[in-house]
Amino acid sequence: MSAVLVIEDDDRIRLSLVLALEDEGYAAVGAASAEEGLSAQRTRPADTVLVDLMLPGIDGFECIRQLRRTDDVPVLVISARDDTSDIVAALEAGADDYVVKPVAIAELTARLRALRRRTRPPSSDEVPVLRLGDLEISAEAGEVRLHGAAVQLTRTEFQLLCELGGHAGRVLSRQQLLQRVWGYDGGDERLVDVHVGRLRQKIEDQPGTPERLVTVRGLGYKLQR
Amino acid sequence: MRRPGLRLRVTAGFAAGALALSATMALVSYQITRQSLLAERERTTIRSATYDAAVVRAGLAGTRPDVREVLGSLDTGGNRRVVVQRSGTWYSRSADPGLTEAIPPALRERATAGNGIAVQRVRVDGRAALVVAVPLSESAVLYEIDSWQELERTLQLLTVVLIVVALCTALFGAGLGWYAARYVLRPLTRVADAAQEIAGGARQARLDPDAAPDLDRLTSSFNHMVDELSARMERDRRFAADVSHELRSPLQTLAAAASVLNRRRGQLDERTAVAAGLVVDEVDRFQGLVNDLIELARSDQAADRTPVDITELARQVCRAHGVDPALVNAAGGATTWCIDRRRIAQLLGNLLDNATAYGGGATAVHLRTAADRGIIEVDDEGPGVSPEDQPLIFDRFVRGRSATARANGAGTGLGLALVAQHAAAHHGTVVVQDRPGGGARFRVELGECLP
Repeated sequence: MSAVLVIEDDDRIRLSLVLALEDEGYAAVGAASAEEGLSAQRTRPADTVLVDLMLPGIDGFECIRQLRRTDDVPVLVISARDDTSDIVAALEAGADDYVVKPVAIAELTARLRALRRRTRPPSSDEVPVLRLGDLEISAEAGEVRLHGAAVQLTRTEFQLLCELGGHAGRVLSRQQLLQRVWGYDGGDERLVDVHVGRLRQKIEDQPGTPERLVTVRGLGYKLQR
Repeated sequence: MRRPGLRLRVTAGFAAGALALSATMALVSYQITRQSLLAERERTTIRSATYDAAVVRAGLAGTRPDVREVLGSLDTGGNRRVVVQRSGTWYSRSADPGLTEAIPPALRERATAGNGIAVQRVRVDGRAALVVAVPLSESAVLYEIDSWQELERTLQLLTVVLIVVALCTALFGAGLGWYAARYVLRPLTRVADAAQEIAGGARQARLDPDAAPDLDRLTSSFNHMVDELSARMERDRRFAADVSHELRSPLQTLAAAASVLNRRRGQLDERTAVAAGLVVDEVDRFQGLVNDLIELARSDQAADRTPVDITELARQVCRAHGVDPALVNAAGGATTWCIDRRRIAQLLGNLLDNATAYGGGATAVHLRTAADRGIIEVDDEGPGVSPEDQPLIFDRFVRGRSATARANGAGTGLGLALVAQHAAAHHGTVVVQDRPGGGARFRVELGECLP
């Protein structure tokens, strides 16, 4: 049974989400604040974290950042705010995906399942170790090395890198990446853009002028051979 | 008819004023100059004629004088010609047959009447001239004819100069008027610029009160109006954001709780299960309504355009709305359009839902381009839309007459209003037409689609 931590300050929303997720077969645990959620995640780590952005005390953005320091657990933001700036800020803080309230439970569980898929080790028919210059991607072991040193990636970032690496030298459109990494047929392309940005911070020598993961204007992204 | 602009009118007014003034001045100066020139010349001619008459009188005083010789001794210059009538016979220095005819009979009578010197202006061969008659004796009169041809030429030149000056003055007046109008209108131009900036979204644009002290009231009321407007817009924006947030949170609880109810409908007794079913359905509809209202409230947002493969997008939307993606027909033209992906996906989805609810399902989705406009047509095989309803169906909360759709509570009544809004955000339009062969055709045109 997959464990979900619900960090939401509104008691009624939290209770209803926990009830609905339990019905869908998840082991759901509620936390009323970021502090409570962070300590719950330390003592009893969940497989997925659902977090609201407007929280008393530490807010959702900071909560995601603190989680990310120690944990690569998939984080799904659930917020009543749908301003672009909020969404991008949450993704940049380290969230893997977001949904805007009110979200139907079927939609929510579909997103959770898609996030969980990324936690499984990638299938073995992929190239075991991919070498692209100084970048080594070991799909089997779930490891990435740059100049020989291990790079810490979240599962979404790792999956994104594996997809791009599997098609190195070829362009993948944002929609293709959304489909392959997030499992969406038609979704928000900002997800891809922000995650590519985060990935560049980790695998580029100069993230401002990327040389490995390049943008192909109007088409998508490409990992250079 | 549109009235000519203020600048044009001021310019024309200045030009007309300058022309009237300079024309009057020119006319007056011409008259004065002409009068004084003619009077001066007349005096000179009379003086010469008197002098010539004295010479001729002296010459004729002797016995058997030769009149021709006496006339030959006169110094008359190029302009003056002298004839003498003596005892009915005409004498002149040279053969000049036309000359005597130029002397009007009235003048001859006056001269012979013995009233002293007589003067008359005449025209000789179409040229102005002055004839002075000086009686020499009882039987002899000296006529001196002075040609004013040169004088006329001078006056003609003066006329030309004065006309040119008048025209130049009028032109100068027009230039002055144009400059004055521009100068006076400059503060208004600033107001217009600021208003345009504000309409374009720059809500911090204000007028500088020190720039045009004469327009103090306009400046201060304009700035006040803009302050009020932007405060109001900010209030509206915050209200919409608050409302959407406050509606979304309880709806999330309802959606989750409804899902729990829905899952356990089998365990409920029949009446409770029916009630639970109603709650679940209405929560679903309410959710759609709130989302559509929030979307409509953001009508002022510009389209966030990126290059999108429209065929792929249309097929995706078809799949998501339970429509066969094979209905998508990209009949030529570019398939990469510069559009707001999210909004066009919603536009397409709403048209497909509309076709399902009222048109018996979509039968085709045509995609093509004309110049830089992207055209989307969604066909259905329903009864079509009556001509009187056609302009109304894009209004908010207007629903078709399909009884089944109404009874099932399908849609929010905002779907087509959102289609119109998304089309407008892309500088486009949406219309409904009769499809050839029956059914309705919703035709969306999106502006500036091609990169």
